[in-house]
Amino acid sequence: MVRHDVVVVGAGMAGMRAAIEAARYGADVGVVSKLHPTRSHSGAAEGGINAALGNAGEDSPDKHAFFTVKGSDYLGDQDAIQVMCEEGPGDIYELEHMGAVFSRTEDGRIAQRPFGAGGAPRTCYAADITGHVLLHVLYEQLVKSGVTVYEEWFALDLVVDGERCVGLTAWDLVRGGVQGVEARAVILATGGLGRIYRGTTNAYACTGDGMSMAWRAGVPLKDMEFMQFHPTTLKANGVLITEGCRGEGGYLRNGQGERFMFTYAPNAGELASRDVVSRAEQTEIDEGRGVDGCVLLDLTHLGAKRINERLHGSRELSLDYAGVDPIDEPIPVRPGAHYHMGGVDTDMWCRTAMPGLYAAGEAACVSVHGANRLGGNSLLETVVFGRRSGAAAAQEVRENGLGGVFPPAAVRVTERRIKSMLDLERGERPAALRQELADTMYDNVGIFRSAEKLELAKQRVGEMRERYARGLTIQDKGRTFNSDLIQAIELGSMLEMADCLVTGAIARTESRGAHSRLDFPERDDENWLRHTLTYYDNGDVGLDYKPVTITEHEPAVRSY
Amino acid sequence: MEVTLKIHRYNPETEQGGLETYTVQAEETATLLDVLDVVKDEVDGSLSYRKSCRMAVCGSCGMRMNGAAVLACKTPMKPLVDRGEVPVISPMGNLPVIKDLVVDMGPFWEKFRAIKPYLDEGSGDAPVKEWRIQQEQLDQIMKEALCIQCGCCVSECNSMEADPDFLGPAALAKAARFVYDVRDRGGKGRLERYNGYHGVWDCTRCYFCNERCPKGVDPRDAIAKVGARIYQEGMRSDKGARHAKVFVDSSHKTGYLLETNLVPETVGALAAIKEIPFAMKMVRAGKVPNPLKPHKAGKLDEVRRLNTLIGDQEKQALEAVHRGPAWPAEDAPRPAEDDE
Repeated sequence: MVRHDVVVVGAGMAGMRAAIEAARYGADVGVVSKLHPTRSHSGAAEGGINAALGNAGEDSPDKHAFFTVKGSDYLGDQDAIQVMCEEGPGDIYELEHMGAVFSRTEDGRIAQRPFGAGGAPRTCYAADITGHVLLHVLYEQLVKSGVTVYEEWFALDLVVDGERCVGLTAWDLVRGGVQGVEARAVILATGGLGRIYRGTTNAYACTGDGMSMAWRAGVPLKDMEFMQFHPTTLKANGVLITEGCRGEGGYLRNGQGERFMFTYAPNAGELASRDVVSRAEQTEIDEGRGVDGCVLLDLTHLGAKRINERLHGSRELSLDYAGVDPIDEPIPVRPGAHYHMGGVDTDMWCRTAMPGLYAAGEAACVSVHGANRLGGNSLLETVVFGRRSGAAAAQEVRENGLGGVFPPAAVRVTERRIKSMLDLERGERPAALRQELADTMYDNVGIFRSAEKLELAKQRVGEMRERYARGLTIQDKGRTFNSDLIQAIELGSMLEMADCLVTGAIARTESRGAHSRLDFPERDDENWLRHTLTYYDNGDVGLDYKPVTITEHEPAVRSY
Repeated sequence: MEVTLKIHRYNPETEQGGLETYTVQAEETATLLDVLDVVKDEVDGSLSYRKSCRMAVCGSCGMRMNGAAVLACKTPMKPLVDRGEVPVISPMGNLPVIKDLVVDMGPFWEKFRAIKPYLDEGSGDAPVKEWRIQQEQLDQIMKEALCIQCGCCVSECNSMEADPDFLGPAALAKAARFVYDVRDRGGKGRLERYNGYHGVWDCTRCYFCNERCPKGVDPRDAIAKVGARIYQEGMRSDKGARHAKVFVDSSHKTGYLLETNLVPETVGALAAIKEIPFAMKMVRAGKVPNPLKPHKAGKLDEVRRLNTLIGDQEKQALEAVHRGPAWPAEDAPRPAEDDE
């Protein structure tokens, strides 16, 4: 049993930023993470982080906010977006002062390049390893702060006293065994769920654990049906090739060599928003103008020097995982599940519906991305709302004192659950079920959706959840580094979150941002300009809705 | 394709282990990590290894293949299959094994923490906005900034094998990243941590770390950079620094290494007296040249030209534009044409 004022679950950029901030406020902070912090998936972010610094041309937070609202297809909450865009520059300067090696302009300032649908060159970058650089800078600061990190502890269940979150239980992966983690405030920063899709850009670790923990504890999730497909991922394993390639001037071509994007987005072309570009690519591929299930990302005209200076990481990935040198030939790419706009429903201070529970980063839905996130806004969200969650949690702890009581039985309850999983001798292996889920989601809940396919997915996910409930065979019966057990638990979270996603998607009979219904091709503001809430209803997925906050920008036609 | 692997298994709870052979079907594009996944999913779920990003950026899946450290996710299997090889997969070296291919990274992160792994911001004189820095200044640390802390270099480090307390290539590359960051105010205090016992001078310069780094960080070059800065700052009393200087001076003067001067000039004349019995043993073994005979290389000019050449190369390396990893040899000779 360990105790802290504030416990952060997850140690990617949002989690570490939250921990650093809470510690600054004088809170005793603990971080629980199933991975060592620098192994987190924030490190795979490549292209950059947005903020209206105005280093590469005129820009302002208001302009940033407008293009984010438009990019969200007007589903983003405008007050939250305004906060992110106004506070963003300060957070970037802070990262720079911490030592982030942002690429520079001629006059030594932070360089900025255009990203899709941003309306200005606003994306700060460190070559094309921005997430890696920022993740490591935050880890350096975490070490400096002296915060206790429980590395390779897998968070299992939230512990609730009355209505209040008082901590969680976790499985110590290295030593084995359930640990109680008592906290006066818990911040979930566990990242996304991309692994529910085949061919995702996401790491193996992105299995929606934190969202699932919250959901099972009765906390509503928001806008779960919105899954972003990134336009440029490698065919073989879904590895991400940054939007920075297009930001630096790369072209998308179909099998006939045509730059097809101007047919779909006459003004923005390759730099339209991600939902638009992914749909265009999929249409080209579906209508027979692809190349072996892909389109081509052409960088050859940029030249070796520029590619090596600004896009060397993409070149390395392309060489390693596609066997293609982008200096000489175009990279075959296809859309791949990349970022989940939905998450635990929070307000602008990252508070959830449960007292004492906060959420930040991809695990949360504030909502600043609405129905479609702009490239470069997710890293920004992690630092802005990571910081805000840490501050809010630490302040609440200071003001509220003890909070609740951690019931000693909580650890035993979780222990029994794990033991029953380990003891089972007959059942399916997790791998087959995991693959089936990923295929089902990719085939039926992809870029283009319809009632027929969504219903099929709902039915299949339901069946899979039943099979999961009947029990899986875990072949590793030991306690030490039992990744077989962890993968089985992760699969449980993935199935639950897939169910939430599909259920939200069936209900939303319109097309908005990344949610594109062939049977309802138009946006329907009259009925659907509202957030979906999915909540735990005796194991099933219940639905509710809440209004979108609109301040300055009335919904308008969205074209690029 | 059909892939066969031999994997070092170890179960700490039963203390059982040994080499197990597995044959599975995998995609042609499969990496070592993909093949391990097939083994785990389809043959034996109790096989343990770390993984996450599968794109060579998270640093989880360092392990050894045929005795050399690799990132499993960056190692394509087809070339090995085509050659008919059956690779042996084992955990990284120089770190205690927890289970199968999983090692205890505790000692690794302890070294990381020991080098003060964060920017020393000094008295807080930071500007309101960003520091104005030229790209060329940042380029000096971009190679070190590529490090993903996977531990492949530490696994292969010869010096660490002899001295487990040696700070090691990963931590010292991280150190270089701060030493050469123009924003860092750590000064000599920071350098003191890297001087002395278990510091930069304990590197044996075997270059295995450069050889095995999957990201092109070149930790040995980073260690040399830190050593150079220590020397520039006049911190020359450390035995390691003096030892290095004897090598340089001696080769410059004579073209040879004067072993008879090495010990006195490194540890000082008085301390060297203690080493006389050892020196006598060396004399008896014929390891000491006659100190009375003129002792100069025939082509001293050539040796000096080499010295100058290496000196210039190291200076260039310090100032060089480090923007990315070195590419594999067959890919390297590419003219950097400016065709924008």
